Parts: sequence; structure tokens; C-alpha cells
Amino acid sequence: MTEATNQGARQPRNAAATQSMRSAPDLSTALPSLEVDDIPQQGTPVISFDRVSKVYPAQPNRPALENISLQIYPGEFVFLVGHSGSGKSTLVRLIIRELRPSSGTITIANEDLGSMRNWRVPYLRRNIGCVFQDFKLLPNKTVYENVAFALEVIGKNRNVIRTQVPEVLRLVGLQDKLDKLPDQLSGGEAQRVSIARAIVNRPPLLVCDEPTGNLDPQTSRGIMDLLERINRTGTTVLVATHDREMVDNMRRRVIALERGHLTRDQQRGVYGFDV
Amino acid sequence: MSSLAYFIKQAFQGFTRNLSTTLGSIITIFLSLFIIGLFLAGAIVIDNIVKSVESEVSITAYVSDDAKQTDINAMEDYIKGLDGVANVSFTTKEQALEDFRNMSSNAEIVDELGGNPLPASINIELSDPQMVQSVADQIETSDLFKKIADEDNPADSLKYGQRTVERLFSVTNYVRYIGIALIVLLVFISLVFINNTIRLAIMARRKEIAIMRLVGASNGFIRGPFLMEGALHAVIGALLAAGCLELLRHLALPRLQASLAFLPIGIDGNTFLLIYLILLAAGLVIGLIGSAFAMRRYLKV
Repeated sequence: MTEATNQGARQPRNAAATQSMRSAPDLSTALPSLEVDDIPQQGTPVISFDRVSKVYPAQPNRPALENISLQIYPGEFVFLVGHSGSGKSTLVRLIIRELRPSSGTITIANEDLGSMRNWRVPYLRRNIGCVFQDFKLLPNKTVYENVAFALEVIGKNRNVIRTQVPEVLRLVGLQDKLDKLPDQLSGGEAQRVSIARAIVNRPPLLVCDEPTGNLDPQTSRGIMDLLERINRTGTTVLVATHDREMVDNMRRRVIALERGHLTRDQQRGVYGFDV
Repeated sequence: MSSLAYFIKQAFQGFTRNLSTTLGSIITIFLSLFIIGLFLAGAIVIDNIVKSVESEVSITAYVSDDAKQTDINAMEDYIKGLDGVANVSFTTKEQALEDFRNMSSNAEIVDELGGNPLPASINIELSDPQMVQSVADQIETSDLFKKIADEDNPADSLKYGQRTVERLFSVTNYVRYIGIALIVLLVFISLVFINNTIRLAIMARRKEIAIMRLVGASNGFIRGPFLMEGALHAVIGALLAAGCLELLRHLALPRLQASLAFLPIGIDGNTFLLIYLILLAAGLVIGLIGSAFAMRRYLKV
């Protein structure tokens, strides 16, 4: 545990409001605080970073992430904010072990990613849903097939696929578009499909890298509502974004990165960067 | 089990996706295996011939027309006394002509010859095939044989299996080296071709693979279809090669046997079955190694 570096994020729930007022900029107090239940931060962290640094070989003098320590607990909804190049995507890719940290340890659900054997990585990823800005849908498969594909390739049997896929598509509101191809969908619908694919296996953790980066504000609002609904079912959600409006409206825990450093970690936070 | 079905389905889809390269790799495997098969069959035929020649471990010493009967008798006695000699007999010029007439299909040629060009000979049967060379050497160096030998050089008047075997070996060795070089080359080409085909298949499914990794498909599951595809190409190539060999066996082999009646070419069906199995196994190995190479280089999982 590295509480000292977390800038007060590790507070009991009744102190959370005052805590955010103290450490956040004036903007935080100016905005209305929404009625959001605080998630008690207890149990084993889903994600735990301990003094993690990542240096890309191409830029040895400028670490993408430096000395990051943070804990994210089950059921939390966390925004990861920062400018382009601040290290948001690097952090996301470290969580799904697409990258390995240069130093420090990352623990996901009690498993140390550093000592994890390569063949175990797929089983880690089955427990992490991933959503990206560019949807990553297969253009020659229908909406239904795209979602079913995620279950097929992890060896789920046909009955499971037949019941879970329509169910998850109903959850994201695409029950009428099962037979559409991705290029017949709007951006918002495509992102819903990719969210459906990410959660169809019911992972305890959903990681989104700029899920609304390609979408207009109204559609983004819809996507965020969806993520919030998913969070309400108990899924831990981590959203890397630079969508100021979204972060300010939802007032959830915010972790801010600036040039690879963790600069702020607050409950009910705001975007907080001057654009 | 269901993932095996998935692999096979994907492999067949890869088939239609890159038809030209797929055909290319199948044809190279087919040709390599076909030639390997031909050489295997040829090696077995040659082995049979060598064995049959070796089993005829007799020495024939040709005797000059003007050799004295007493010298011939003395020679026979001398040979009888040698180690490893089982039996000695004498064939006169007339007998030789008669034998030749019986052997060749049309006796008229023999009649038209007028005289009798065939020499008389002493036939030596050996009890031990290993002794051929030493017995032949002893006959060759004996003064008596120099006197009665058909040719000026006594060595030329001696005919025995060992020499034929040696000559066969020197020929077959060359053939074998050429064959091995050819096979190595063809196997290499097939590996390159399969490697390339699988590389294209991987490229074509790049996006799919990225998503499979994202949602946690196991490495084996991602690799499976490509291994299956390589193996499928190899098996099809092997089956084609086996089919062509089977065709050759039924069409060409009887004719070859007919024109080379004195050589025991015959290979039985079991041997051919073995050859086909070897081809199938070799094809599978080529296919799997080829696709494994491609995956090592282009499929980071």
C-alpha cells in the first residue's frame, strides 16, 4: 500500500466530499455535486500500481509513466484524464499487459502482471473488457456475430452464446440491429456494439480508452450512461478520456496524469485542466 | 472438440481467401513429395536388383577356344581345391550356344550367325557369397588360367556378381546424391512457400487476431487455424503425390517390367502403402514446420 502517494484518495466515504473540496481547484466547488453513491474503497484492489514507470525505448529520456502508484477498488467508476501524450493509453495498455512496466509492480485482482507467464495473459484478458476509440469491429461480421465472436474464441459453447449475445445487445439498446454490418451503424451504435462485446463475458473490470473520442457530445452522453449502468451492476469501470464535459457532469473519482506523472486523484472530481 | 471444428472451418476459409498462393503451396508440396516418392520407389527397386545380383554368387571363367582339355581339367581341379567353392561345372561351346538359343526369343539369329562365337566356360558356384572376391582373385592370378583364358587379360575373362554389384552401386550412389540434393531443395522450396502462404493468411486476418487477443483467446486458439491450414495444404499435396504414384504404379510399372524382364522390379502393395504413409508424414512435418516458422515471425501472441 502506498497511501501517501495517493493524495488523499484513501479516505472513508463520509470524508470524501470535503476531501475533494480541499484538493480540487475552485471549479470543483462551483459545479453541482450529483447524487452519486460513494463506493466504499475496501477489499482487494482490482487494479493496483506500485511505483510503476514505463520508458519506451524510442524515448529513453522521457518516461511515458513515472512512479505511478494507485489503487482502484471493486465497483468503482474511475476517470483517467490528461492531455494527449500524458500516458493514459500507456496505463491502459499496462493493465491489459499489452506492455510490461519498466519498473514497479502492477497487480490485477491479486495477480502480479510482472511474474505472469505469457500463456496466462489470455486468461487475464478474459477478465478485463476493453473498449477503444476506434471500436475495433470486424467489418465482415454482423453486430450479432461481432459480439458472438468474443465468446466463440474463448471457447464458450453455442448455448451460452445464443443466450448471452442477445441479452447483452438488449442491454446496450441494439436489439433491433442484430443483422446490421458495422458500416451500416452510426458511431454511437458501433461503440455500443464494442461495449457489448467487451462485457458479454461479464468481466469484473471494464477498461475504456477514449470511448467517446469519435462521438458527438449527445452520443457521448448516451455511451457514458451505458457505462454508468454497467458500473451499477458491480463492474469496475476505468475510462481514459479527455472529454471535459463528461467528467465534469458525472463527478466520479478522477485520476489525472500530466506528462507521465500522477498529479491528482480525487473523489467526485472534475476534469480540471485548462484547455 | 468444437475449437478443432473451428480450426478446420477457418483453414478451409483461408483456402478460398488466397486461392493462388494456396494452390502454389499445394503444388510445391505435391511435387516435392512426388519426387521423394519416386526416389523411394526407385531406391527399393534398385535394392531389389542389387540383392538379386548378389544372390547369384557364381563366377564364370571363360575359356579360350584353343585351350587344351588337360589344362581345363587341371584348372577345374585347382578351383575345386579353393576355399569357399561349392561346385564346379564345365560348359562347352556347343552347350553355350544351345543355352543362348533357348534364352533368346528367336532362334533364327543364332542360326544366321553361322559359326559359334560363344566361348566355353567353367562355372563356379560358391558356398559363401563373401568369398567371391578372394576366389576370383585366386583364379585370376593363377598361371594356369592365364594360359587358357579367353581374353588376353585374365581379369576380363572372369564374370562374377560382385563386379556388377559394384558398378550398380557406383551408379546408384550418384543417383542417390542427386536425389537427396533435389529433395532437400524441394523441401526447402515447399517450406518457403508454406511460410509465405501462412504469412498472407495471417496478414489477411490481422484485425481478427488483434480482437482475439483483446478478448482473451488463448494462444493455441489463435495459432490453431494457421497450423491447420499449413497441415491441410500438406495433406492435400501428399494425397496428390500418392495418387500420382499409384497411377504410375498401375500404368508405367507393368510396361517397365515387361521391357526389363530380366530385372526383378516388382514392388508389392504393402511397400507402396508404406511409401504413401511416409509421404503423408513428411508432408505433415513440412506443413507444420512451415506454418510454425511463419507464426514465429508474423504472429506475436
